[in-house]
Amino acid sequence: MSFRYTMMGAAVGLFVFYLGLLLSLLFFVSGGGFWAALTNPYTLFSIQLSLITATAATFFALLIGLPAAYALSRFEFPGKRILDTFLEIPMIISPIALGASLLIFFNTPLGEIIQRKGFFFVFEVPGIVLAQFATIAGLTTRLMKVSLDEISPRYEAVARSLGSSPWKAFSKITLPLALRGLIASVILAWAKALGEFGATVMVAGAMPGKTETMPIAIYTALSSANIEKTVVLILILAVFGLGTLYGARLTGKRYRYD
Amino acid sequence: MIKIEGLTLRVESFNITNLDIAIDEGGFHFLLGPTGSGKTLILESIMGLHRPKGGKIRVGDREVQHLPPERREISYVPQDLALFPHLTVKENILFGIHARNLNPAAYEDHVRSLIEVMRVDHLLERYPANLSGGEKKRTALLRALAPRPKLLLLDEPLSGLDPSMKIEIQHLLKTLHAAFHPTTLCVTHDFEEAYFLGDEITICIDGKVEQAGRKDDVFLRPRSKKVAQFLGARNLYRATVLRKEEPEQRWILGVNGLHFSVPESSCLHSTEMGKDVDLFIRSEEVMIIRDGKPVKDSLKRNIFDGEIVDIIDKGRYSVIYFQTVEGKIFFEISIPNYAFRNLELSVGKGVKAALREESLWVMT
Repeated sequence: MSFRYTMMGAAVGLFVFYLGLLLSLLFFVSGGGFWAALTNPYTLFSIQLSLITATAATFFALLIGLPAAYALSRFEFPGKRILDTFLEIPMIISPIALGASLLIFFNTPLGEIIQRKGFFFVFEVPGIVLAQFATIAGLTTRLMKVSLDEISPRYEAVARSLGSSPWKAFSKITLPLALRGLIASVILAWAKALGEFGATVMVAGAMPGKTETMPIAIYTALSSANIEKTVVLILILAVFGLGTLYGARLTGKRYRYD
Repeated sequence: MIKIEGLTLRVESFNITNLDIAIDEGGFHFLLGPTGSGKTLILESIMGLHRPKGGKIRVGDREVQHLPPERREISYVPQDLALFPHLTVKENILFGIHARNLNPAAYEDHVRSLIEVMRVDHLLERYPANLSGGEKKRTALLRALAPRPKLLLLDEPLSGLDPSMKIEIQHLLKTLHAAFHPTTLCVTHDFEEAYFLGDEITICIDGKVEQAGRKDDVFLRPRSKKVAQFLGARNLYRATVLRKEEPEQRWILGVNGLHFSVPESSCLHSTEMGKDVDLFIRSEEVMIIRDGKPVKDSLKRNIFDGEIVDIIDKGRYSVIYFQTVEGKIFFEISIPNYAFRNLELSVGKGVKAALREESLWVMT
């Protein structure tokens, strides 16, 4: 077999593997059952909750991740390498461990003060957002840093020599040039937040109609042998996730750089 | 007037100490130095990207070393040009005018005449990705000049161009400067480029200014062996001052038993007998004497018998490697092709080489 076909065979093999997994789900789907599971109020609630919390978590990850990514991409400062390494925390320790850490934190004096001040996270919806944020913030920052690294700092240097403030140089030059990569980073982060399970279940629990996101609903449905609901939720999660990721690949205009 | 006084920089492995550069209003000043000597760092510091450890940068009557880049009124054209790829040529050109909140109407005539001189009027709606190398250079220069900066910084403006394009941009820069007189500081490692375009030259080697002055002074009268070597000097010898011929004010120098007669005006400093000095012989000022041809009196003092040991054809000129009979000293001699053909030279041929007065320069 030629080199080219061997390599392409591996790629196609991976595609067939994942597609096969998804198609196998259809084996358990019947028209009526599928519709009943889909329109179940708890299913609809978990879909709605997942969309809202993933969007909120992504917003916060973008809010803090973009400046952090810019700082890591452009500036030299003490402790930069340590900070950079810490971005990998969510990937190194499992989401369960991350969620457990959050839960433990809210039992420390500082955590208790936060809860006493009216900011309730444990077994509450904000806890879901926090858990998802904790899982995706590092990844989002890392991905956005890669996008910013691709843009030569010389563009900003020239913009500044022409009279732009650092903010203006960033908004007029770096941001439009990195936009495609930044949007892709955000979409990827959103898809990851949407599918987040471990940390969320630790912090917010699995209360149907209150803190049950789609991945948690999949777990509880399967635990109670409700295969049709499980399949419906998996397919919805896959459609959302694949749709957004494919959208990320199509986003924006690609510039040719000198 | 732009004055850089005692600029001291320490960034990563680069160490620049006490750099002084003065550029007259409308002057074209070159900062020459070997590749990797920190020239770009100097430009970026003047522009405001790096904070100097010491020294002053004066633009007109303002000290700007503490100001951010956007308040210095210094435009910068980096080596890679950094044309904004998401903006058209027109938007690139007008970027500085908008960024400085200048009134576009007040700059309309200036920008139009720049566009005419730079011949980019047909490119205004294009994006940088669709421009040739030369068009990109012209756009970058235009963008830098549009907001009428107090100082224009150019980083290796002729690098990365093919020879014909290089000549075109070189002439364009000359035309541009003659038409708009922007006060310009340009860094390069290419002394031919500096000689063609510059008025004044500062030579910076290993983070220190080795020589500064009018271009002829720097090229014809290097102040040290380091500068001479950087400028491409090939025939450099350690010589001993043997005696002075008082009536003619000439020094006789000895190298391996071979005697050179050098006018006092070709010595950087006053010298004395017995002193060791550096003798520099310009390869393009050495002549091969044809048999039977009369020789000028001024050449008779320094005529040497020798043999051609090698000939290298450089395309537009030839380099002759000549070894003297006495002292066995090698000279590198550059001869234009038309002269080379007339001389009918070949390896192993015995010839006489004569040194013009202008070929000799003595540094202590």
